[in-house]
Amino acid sequence: MRRTFAIPLALISVVSWQVRAIAHGVGITYQATEAIELQANYDSGEPMAEAQVSVYSPEDPSTPWLTGTADETGRFVFAPDPSIPGTWEVQVRQAGHGEILNIPVGGEAGVLGANAGASEADGESNSQIASGIGDNLSIPQKGLMAVSVIWGFVGTALFFLARKK
Amino acid sequence: MHIPDGILPASVCIAGYAIAVPVTWYSLRQINRLKDPTEELPKASLLTAAFFIASSINIPVPPSSVHLVLNGLLGCVLGYFAFPAILVGLFFQAIMFGHGGLTTLGVDAVMMGIPALVASHIFQFRHVFRQKLGEKLATNVFAFLAGALGLGLAAVIFFFLVITNIPSGFDAQTERAAVYGLSLAHLPLMLIEGTFTLLLVMFLQRVKPELIERRG
Repeated sequence: MRRTFAIPLALISVVSWQVRAIAHGVGITYQATEAIELQANYDSGEPMAEAQVSVYSPEDPSTPWLTGTADETGRFVFAPDPSIPGTWEVQVRQAGHGEILNIPVGGEAGVLGANAGASEADGESNSQIASGIGDNLSIPQKGLMAVSVIWGFVGTALFFLARKK
Repeated sequence: MHIPDGILPASVCIAGYAIAVPVTWYSLRQINRLKDPTEELPKASLLTAAFFIASSINIPVPPSSVHLVLNGLLGCVLGYFAFPAILVGLFFQAIMFGHGGLTTLGVDAVMMGIPALVASHIFQFRHVFRQKLGEKLATNVFAFLAGALGLGLAAVIFFFLVITNIPSGFDAQTERAAVYGLSLAHLPLMLIEGTFTLLLVMFLQRVKPELIERRG
């Protein structure tokens, strides 16, 4: 059994050695960095697929520091420069719909600052910072709010209807 | 259809308020001239509720989805009450669900409210064509047109505002293509809202015709 495996393994090692010999020298290093991931959805829950994203650094709020496009699922990841602390502004836009997010980087409240190695609970609070009105509400909450407002209007209607009589 | 905060420059937002304020004043003055201004309040209040909730009703129009607006319908049934009704409805939508925004409240009110007032006048044309088409047909035709054109005009204003205010940080070509796609999706919505207005007017004619006729 052992011998039957030994021959193919030897072949593979020869092939891989050849490939390495053909390749030109490429040096790739990597470094782990903190990145910010955005998830852009319409309030219907549909992802903003391929929405345009502009990132503005705190140093220059008028010229985009980075522009890009969200993926099919409305996801966009970028790594802000940790040497520029402050509030980073991210604009997501598609067909006149969109939102501006203010993301604090560095400092105590920063995503990349003192809380960089934060627990899950802190991670949640960070993601809440980066959400707009209504995004954090559950469907029952939204439903109850809608019903309350509608009841307000119906009550107003009934009030004036009763006065008329 | 609602323009949220941060999409338009401050000057456009201020211009929106500058138009919305006198139009609200004019509408309220017209309402005050009625014999009993509170008489139509129950109807206006109920339709404000309908307007408030309509934007939560999404209609899939591939590849995107659109939501009901009902501004043409409000104009058709409420007349001058439509503008303040839309303003109140938009305010609640912005505060409760973040749909639209407070800085763009004026712009959104103008975008949906003025077409509603236009729709109200379109619906009045039924009196002109009453002889030619007959009472019932004229009412139905102009109810449909008011509902469809009210929404259509609002959509045209929306696309004009969005296309002329693309910030420099975004690729204008891509954004324009997305806006054109969305504008096409509003064509079937015009038909839906026109039909919806027609059905409501037909229903009111049968159940309580004075609700439509009073302002005739």
